[in-house]
Amino acid sequence: MTAKLTTEHRAELLSAATRDELVALAERLLAQGALGEPAVLVPPEVGMVMLQVREPIAEERFYLGEVLVTRCGAEVAGVAGWSMRGDDDRIAALAAALLDAVCAAGLPESAEVEELCAAVERRRRREIDEEWARIAPTLVTFEELP
Amino acid sequence: MGFSNARGGTEAILAAERLVRSSGEEAGSDRIGLAQLIERMGLAVDRVMGEGGLWSPELAARALRRAEGDVMEAAQLLRAHRSSIPRLAYSEVASTDELRVIRRISSAFRNPPGRQLLGRTTDYVGRLLDLMPEDADAAEDAPHDHAHEHGHGHGHGHGHVHDEPVTTGDQDLRHPPRLIGLLREMDMVVERRPGADAEDPEPFDITRVPARPGAPRSAVLAALARAETGALVNLWYAYTFSTVKHGHEIPGEVRHGWLPVKVAHPVTGRPVTVTEIRVTEVETIDDLDRPEEDRSRLDLGYGLCFGHNERKAIAMAGLDLLVHRDGGRTELEQRVLITLDGIEACGFLEHLKLPHYVDFRSLLDRKRAVRGSSADGGAR
Repeated sequence: MTAKLTTEHRAELLSAATRDELVALAERLLAQGALGEPAVLVPPEVGMVMLQVREPIAEERFYLGEVLVTRCGAEVAGVAGWSMRGDDDRIAALAAALLDAVCAAGLPESAEVEELCAAVERRRRREIDEEWARIAPTLVTFEELP
Repeated sequence: MGFSNARGGTEAILAAERLVRSSGEEAGSDRIGLAQLIERMGLAVDRVMGEGGLWSPELAARALRRAEGDVMEAAQLLRAHRSSIPRLAYSEVASTDELRVIRRISSAFRNPPGRQLLGRTTDYVGRLLDLMPEDADAAEDAPHDHAHEHGHGHGHGHGHVHDEPVTTGDQDLRHPPRLIGLLREMDMVVERRPGADAEDPEPFDITRVPARPGAPRSAVLAALARAETGALVNLWYAYTFSTVKHGHEIPGEVRHGWLPVKVAHPVTGRPVTVTEIRVTEVETIDDLDRPEEDRSRLDLGYGLCFGHNERKAIAMAGLDLLVHRDGGRTELEQRVLITLDGIEACGFLEHLKLPHYVDFRSLLDRKRAVRGSSADGGAR
């Protein structure tokens, strides 16, 4: 990953990272003292996002249902970081918010966070490619009987 | 009307619960892990999420295990848990054009734009009860010890990277164009899209306000999306074979795939994908043959539900169109809005098992009173 990540792209990749990846890096940076004295701005909270969809026929919006998420806000070096991820995992959400704040604050350790994001993106792309490799043989062209 | 209060029986009630909770251990079988349920009983987990109205494979698997495989009870457990969780946000408006398909078929066109992708299905092969000896069956399963090896498409999303298109010519096979676009190009469908200046009303939230006839279509779609699958199929089937309906609709699109869930970033306000969920989406096409309809064109109904549940999405799309065409002439909209929620229906049914001693005594008393008045010569 050469170009600097946008705020949104970074948040997406941190939400796609595994709990182990996030916690390992956040704990290491904390142990090194790289995060100074971080603060929790919004405690990790499990809640729901109501998913609204626009259907394609009359282009009307409706609520499909709710999605379980965990969100968190943290501060590092006086700068806020944010995370939201699917399902119930407060620790992963806290770690992601801390790492997001590291990047937002422009600390030297940002490079490590961005490297993690790059690894997540590579893995996800590989998984999507593998998914396609499994289902592509089911592409079909049916013949019509005369 | 209703059940009467009763006291006592606490010890028996607790003993009865212990029988349920201990039955697995006494049977001597292993406890079922959540991953097993999500990966090997994924369709049941999907139904629980769809009917419970909450996407969380892990919670749905927990509910299914707690309910001993009773999907309806599991959906009730999930819905009850949902009521204890705060709503943190509303998503950005999702367009299912972003759906990354893992299955896409059309019953209307043999070669639709973007091709057909069968995905994981046994639709086209014989389906028989597996009577293999357990050892042989387990051995057959052994090489594939993880759902992702099968391409099941259950469990957690594959993430939020920006998909590289998989193309044939100019078609992205992971995000195929919709058939409705082709039908519009052919001028074969009635136009139901609003004009550029039209309002974009907020969707009706059936989780906050009970929907009643006359509610907007967003309420109908939301009620259908979390309806009980069996009830939905039954209602669709009954109306499809009613005397006012001639023929049946044809699903133009049946899709199963991953849909990104986006929220506004709290700092920038721009959309961020925070997770992905699987959904089944259907666009179904029907003939317009009533005097007041444009008989030179077709119309479409829409179905969308959590997880992989094609039966539900096809029935939902059919009912969406039936309600639209019905226009409030019959009780169909009322039945869709009020009778399809499995949790409400089962809740009412289950309550019948609670003590109704006073109700029943008064029923007997009324019968005796009728007989008494008959004996007095007062009965007609």
